[in-house]
Amino acid sequence: MAPVVEAVDLKKTYLLGKVPVDALRGVNLKVESGEFLAILGPSGSGKSTLLNLIGALDKPTAGTLLIGGVDISKLNDSQLADLRRRIGFVFQFFNLIPRFTALGNVELSMSIADVNRAERKRRAEELLETVGLKDRMNHKPAELSGGQQQRVAIARALANNPKFLLLDEPTGNIDSKTAREIMTLIKRLNEEKGVTIIMVTHDQHLAREAKRVVQVFDGVISSDMVN
Amino acid sequence: MRATDVFGYSFSAIKLRKLRAGLTTLGVVIGIAAIVALLSITQGLQNTIAMQLEQGLATDTVVVTPGRSILSGAGGQGAGIGATIGGDTSGFKLFINDTATVNAASTEIEDSIAIIQRVIYVHSENRTFAINVNGVDFAKYAEFYGSTFVAESGSISLKPENDTVVIGRRLHDPWKNGTLLFNVNDAIDITWANATARPPKNETYTGYVAAVLKEVGGFSFGGPSDTGVYIPLSQAQAFFGTDECSMMIVKLKSSDKTTIESVSEAIEDAFNGEVSVISSTAVLDILSSVFSVISLFLVGIAAISLLVAGIGIMNIMIVSLIERTREIGILKALGMKSRTVLMIFLSESVIIGLIGAVLGTVLGWGLANAVAVVLSGGGLFQNIGSAQPATRIQSGLMTITPVLTPTVLAGALIFGIGVSVIFALYPAWRASKLKPVEALRYE
Ligand SMILES: Nc1ncnc2c1ncn2[C@@H]1O[C@H](COP(=O)(O)OP(=O)(O)OP(=O)(O)O)[C@@H](O)[C@H]1O
Ligand SMILES: [Mg+2]
Repeated sequence: MAPVVEAVDLKKTYLLGKVPVDALRGVNLKVESGEFLAILGPSGSGKSTLLNLIGALDKPTAGTLLIGGVDISKLNDSQLADLRRRIGFVFQFFNLIPRFTALGNVELSMSIADVNRAERKRRAEELLETVGLKDRMNHKPAELSGGQQQRVAIARALANNPKFLLLDEPTGNIDSKTAREIMTLIKRLNEEKGVTIIMVTHDQHLAREAKRVVQVFDGVISSDMVN
Repeated sequence: MRATDVFGYSFSAIKLRKLRAGLTTLGVVIGIAAIVALLSITQGLQNTIAMQLEQGLATDTVVVTPGRSILSGAGGQGAGIGATIGGDTSGFKLFINDTATVNAASTEIEDSIAIIQRVIYVHSENRTFAINVNGVDFAKYAEFYGSTFVAESGSISLKPENDTVVIGRRLHDPWKNGTLLFNVNDAIDITWANATARPPKNETYTGYVAAVLKEVGGFSFGGPSDTGVYIPLSQAQAFFGTDECSMMIVKLKSSDKTTIESVSEAIEDAFNGEVSVISSTAVLDILSSVFSVISLFLVGIAAISLLVAGIGIMNIMIVSLIERTREIGILKALGMKSRTVLMIFLSESVIIGLIGAVLGTVLGWGLANAVAVVLSGGGLFQNIGSAQPATRIQSGLMTITPVLTPTVLAGALIFGIGVSVIFALYPAWRASKLKPVEALRYE
């Protein structure tokens, strides 16, 4: 089986006006199916940039990136969309849709994937219960705390039963008790369901929960260790 | 994404911006309403004209009026209009016994009658109305206009007394609400301002309403009119002190075009071109084509207003696109295809266009009916105000029933939705082209 992620000399340069910003300066990374990988690194080191590329949300400036053995720069718009549906992505800034309730937000990602109405509702309720939001299902994001919004975002990422889950600081806004609960959930997904997980974090302690820790520094991988 | 989900999503986005969406819809409503109103009135008018041609208006008659046709030599069809508008300038006069000359002009002529027409005043309570009175030979007039010179109440005597008066339907019930002006057996004072007397003076006689005509509707051209008053020819001769007639109605043996043309020419020749001859069909033809042109022009203006509405839609869509950049980024990050993003924006415009078109059609239909009521209800007084002896087309008054054809209905819907969608294409396309990461970073 092809590795879930295979990045070779991956580069990403943003243009801020006319000034080029090298966010990634040659990343080499291979992630096999079933791995649980934590990405550590200081702010601005390029963690989110890397995760966005792996999540097929953006295209690299140079280098190759194979996701499940497929070169994403060769995929067209519609194929990229299909790929994104199979990857669960938890954003650093939640990115919930304000006018929908927690339930509506979780259902939305299933409606994009053509799941029928009844199944959507059933599964969204089940997921929200799993992340401990059973009694907040009909609240809109503005009526939820940061941690609750983060959990809705996690439920949404899990909606289409992804085999590959990307999380950008999933516990950044959560108290340590809830954070531990979420870590337990993520670990269970990895161990029981074999979901491949890449999680970006600032937190050394949380990183220790992962099977493998990758350090990103100034746009390159500075260390890669197995716990 | 399923079509129903796409629509549901669009609907939730519209609901979020009710006021803005409402105002945008209003633009479509106004444009569609104007188009529907104009087209349904025009259609109603055309139906009225067609109906007149079929029954009310005697198509086998032509009207002879004194005065040279300005378009002399152009033939009977419509040639008289110029003279009618231009009025009598030559000093030539038509007399009652000239009917003999007319009848001898062509073998295609069945008979002819003379009409003495004057503007008179009638009084009711404390109002005064200026109305056209027509002195006619009741027996012949009834024969010429068998379907319209018919009593609704009372009866029309073919050998009337001198003081017999027959009135048009609208003098009986002008406001159509049961407030009656004159009824059968009422006395009616007819006043004429005699300008030839020295000094000028008002002359009055009291007649009795013998009959109220049934509603004629539409245009009357020499024939009975809803706003006309009819008295015996002999009474008109005596009262107005003249044998000069205002017009003659000539009944032909056939109503086909060539007959009308040849007879028209023969009559003009018989009077050395000093008269003009107009056929009622020609007048209706001209009127209907004038109305078509006017309504086409107005529909054009309405269409422009719809285009303005379209630009409004484009504007609101672009604003909405900018506001929702982040949302679109989320949708794309969740795996929504560009095509679906496009569909969401287009279906928003379809919803706006559909609601606008439906409301616009309803409003336009209401508007058309209101205009029709104004045209027919207020007609009496309009007509009175402009009643001049020179206007020989006796009435500009119309009874229009607006008609909404399936074509107009379908056209309004298609046009409303079409304009909305076309103007939403560009914003929708831009939305669909947004890149997820860039859109997600948008504040
Ligand atoms: N769209 C963009 N346009 C321009 N520069 C960008 C863009 N996205 C990221 N950058 C720059 O690229 C660098 C890496 O950003 P990135 O978001 O990947 O950092 P990060 O490691 O996730 O930081 P944090 O821990 O604060 O989230 C930063 O210097 C950032 O300013
Ligand atoms: Mg980041």
